[in-house]
Amino acid sequence: MTELWEGLVTAVKLIISLDPEVMQIAGRSLAISATSSAIAALICLPLGAVIHFNRFPGKRTLINIIQTLFSLPTVAVGLFVFVMFSSAGPLGGFGIMFSPAVMVVGQVVLIIPLMLGLIISALSATDKAITDTAVSLGASGFQMSVITFREARFGVLAGLIMGFGRAISEVGLSLMVGGNIRGFTRTITTAISLETSKGDLELALALGMILIFIALVINIGLNRIQQR
Amino acid sequence: MKRKTILVILAGLVLVSLLVSAAGCPAKTESQYPLHDPMVRFKIATTTSLYDTGLWYHLEPIFEELANVEMDIIYAGTGIALEYGRRGDVDAIIVHDRAREDMFLADGYGINRRNFAYNFFLIAGPESDPAGITGSTASEAFEKLYNAGLNDPDTVKFVSRGDDSGTHAKEKLIWSQAGFDYEEIRNSGKWYVEAGKGMGPTLLMANEMQAYVMADISTFLAYNLKSGLDIVSLVEEDPIFLNVYAAIAINPETHSKARIDIANRFINWLISAEVQDIISTYGEAEYGRPLFFPIAGCDMPGCPPVEDYTLPVPEYTGS
Amino acid sequence: MSMALIETVNITRKYGKQEIIKNISLKVEQGEVLALIGPTGAGKTTLLRLLDLLEAPASGHIYFDGREVTDNKNRRLQTRRRMSFVLQKPVVFNMSVSDNIACGLRWRKEKEATVSQRVNSALELVGMTEYSSRNARTLSGGETQLVAIARALAIAPEVLFLDEPTANLDPVSAARIEEVLAHIIGEQKTTVVMATHDMAQGQRLAGRIGVIINGELLQTGSPNDIFSTPQNTRVAELVGIGNILGGVIANRDNELVGIDVGGGLIQAISDYHTGAEVHALIRPEDVTLALHKDASSARNTFEGSITRIFPVGALVRIELDCGFPLLTVVTRQSAQDLKLAVGNRVYATFKATAVHVIKRWN
Repeated sequence: MTELWEGLVTAVKLIISLDPEVMQIAGRSLAISATSSAIAALICLPLGAVIHFNRFPGKRTLINIIQTLFSLPTVAVGLFVFVMFSSAGPLGGFGIMFSPAVMVVGQVVLIIPLMLGLIISALSATDKAITDTAVSLGASGFQMSVITFREARFGVLAGLIMGFGRAISEVGLSLMVGGNIRGFTRTITTAISLETSKGDLELALALGMILIFIALVINIGLNRIQQR
Repeated sequence: MKRKTILVILAGLVLVSLLVSAAGCPAKTESQYPLHDPMVRFKIATTTSLYDTGLWYHLEPIFEELANVEMDIIYAGTGIALEYGRRGDVDAIIVHDRAREDMFLADGYGINRRNFAYNFFLIAGPESDPAGITGSTASEAFEKLYNAGLNDPDTVKFVSRGDDSGTHAKEKLIWSQAGFDYEEIRNSGKWYVEAGKGMGPTLLMANEMQAYVMADISTFLAYNLKSGLDIVSLVEEDPIFLNVYAAIAINPETHSKARIDIANRFINWLISAEVQDIISTYGEAEYGRPLFFPIAGCDMPGCPPVEDYTLPVPEYTGS
Repeated sequence: MSMALIETVNITRKYGKQEIIKNISLKVEQGEVLALIGPTGAGKTTLLRLLDLLEAPASGHIYFDGREVTDNKNRRLQTRRRMSFVLQKPVVFNMSVSDNIACGLRWRKEKEATVSQRVNSALELVGMTEYSSRNARTLSGGETQLVAIARALAIAPEVLFLDEPTANLDPVSAARIEEVLAHIIGEQKTTVVMATHDMAQGQRLAGRIGVIINGELLQTGSPNDIFSTPQNTRVAELVGIGNILGGVIANRDNELVGIDVGGGLIQAISDYHTGAEVHALIRPEDVTLALHKDASSARNTFEGSITRIFPVGALVRIELDCGFPLLTVVTRQSAQDLKLAVGNRVYATFKATAVHVIKRWN
């Protein structure tokens, strides 16, 4: 118990003193996951609209598949991205293995189903009368999509935040394709996973607290959105 | 909430990512690193014991300064390091399993292997030593562990790396020397635990379980100091315990993107007097004895020939 | 004859295998107010949606201002932008009242100055000026309906579609909405097509009525035509003609005919020949009751016994057996004065001109 207590005290000191290593790792985690979320959002927002607003055979099945992939194992994505982007792999020419870029690619793949699925659910949850009203008031297809997104904004936003939450908290993928390189691809989760095993408990605890704090902020945000 | 919330959030996400990527390589801002060329990234995959003891934390900034590169060190057991090397995902590897190193070179994946440090393995276990291995040779100790483990798997356990690392390879070698078939051992019962982790984590796991474990002395000492291990060293000083580390450059003829110039420079630097000196004293202040030995002092059976560490690797001139 | 503003030719619409709209051909003239009446589920809403080009017909053609707009996607959008639609349960977007009203204008890329001017006059029209910056989601049902109407009018549509504009509203709100609509119809000369199941509302607001039952357009005509001379029994039932008696024309004296309804001979005015199978339609309001047989100018007087009495609002409906069933209404006061009770014998009287005779189709 004393070990944990002392660790916690040191961890708090590390955070309060804005320890450069802790801050850099936390900042890098945020940056990588924010980039992944932004890219995934840029893909999912239009794609979600295309899927939601069009009728096509197999739509139901497609949505079911997307929902099944919500819980895509991070290590499965890690393995897939590793095989694709490793030098000997088909996309090895990019030369981005063991870099933040490949971590972003992996996180984008990982969170696209979740974001896409939640965006489609949010759009589906809007009243059919909203789209009817928009069309009857002379909205074009695009204008109708925009107003539907606007109406579904809290649900859509929740989807984006959930995607970010999944990206920043995953570890398997980042470890596999990022390599936990100090000063380059080390993120909160990979550092916790490796530093704990090296006995560097204080750093791991400090980072763990930051991650919990981020999760808390995300949850408060989500709750406030859902109360609207 | 105001209008265009989503756009604002999106813009925010993009902005944050742009800011951070505009800050370029995040490493630039890290206080402990001087400025290097962030575009030149030199990647090595290293055996876990050298990492867990902190040696790379010590060496990394010196080489980065020297070569003006960003050095990316990836934590990987020998098996995985060799696989990264085969796939061309790194520029050099640091490993410790002679048999597989030779195969790696013969297959054309690596060139310019040089040994640069050594130490020894040991077998650690609970102080009470329920299997009674103290004073045995390595083979005898393993045989006793096997028998005791089968009889009383609740008291006697052995934690294996189980990750195809150099340490794991050495363990298999000892089992076969003791006359066992390894496949039989690993399936013989719950006394034999496969961790699938690096050296440090495996040690911590054995410590938690009050189990026997085979480790290199350096990692054992480092963790004993840092985490106060309850398990103690029981068997040492068997010639089979000799553990020699090697650096290998990835063959640019197999993987054209491998940074052979930096890798060569790195390997020559490792065998240079400067680094050999650092190795001879690394850890002395903290542990009362150095964690590794410079390769030049190796003079027992199993040590590499002198040219494996004295001959600088030639400059790569292309094919 | 000038070209109708909207014309449909034999349009049908199916949901799955069910035909919601069956071969409807309808013309909507420029500037007229057309009410579509019919029971719930008759297809009124679907017809409005087809006319507003929100849905496409399975077959048939739709013309707007002389141009076919059945299929061409772009032309449908351009045409739809000349019309607007107030849904039965109107929804407002989660934004201010004035932004809601501005939507249609902004989608048409109107200048902001035009937008604010039009929004203000629309707000004024429905008397909601002071609500301009309120979030529209906080409004009551009646206020929401008014905003929806203002939103639909802001774009100055050539055609305004209203789907049950006062259903789901309390009587006070309904009256206010109807007042606003009457004002708009009177002032703006907009072409209006409205669906309603409230016969009286159709009668009050519309210049012409179309009756839709079960996906078929059964009759169109002036309110007077529809209410007094329905063309078939289904329309008659819908417009509240309580007495629909099947019979055969037994004799004729000039335009006066006697219809044998099996149990009585009803005098009526009709062109049909002797022997024609017909229905005699009599509004219950046109039948008067008395305890004694009076000398009256009315041609039809029948003695009968009361079989059932039940109150309807301020009135009392009375079912009689006069050898044939006959339904009538009296005020509560008359019912008391006459001491009406089941089993009593009374005399029912109605004029020959109160009987509307239609041909019976089998």
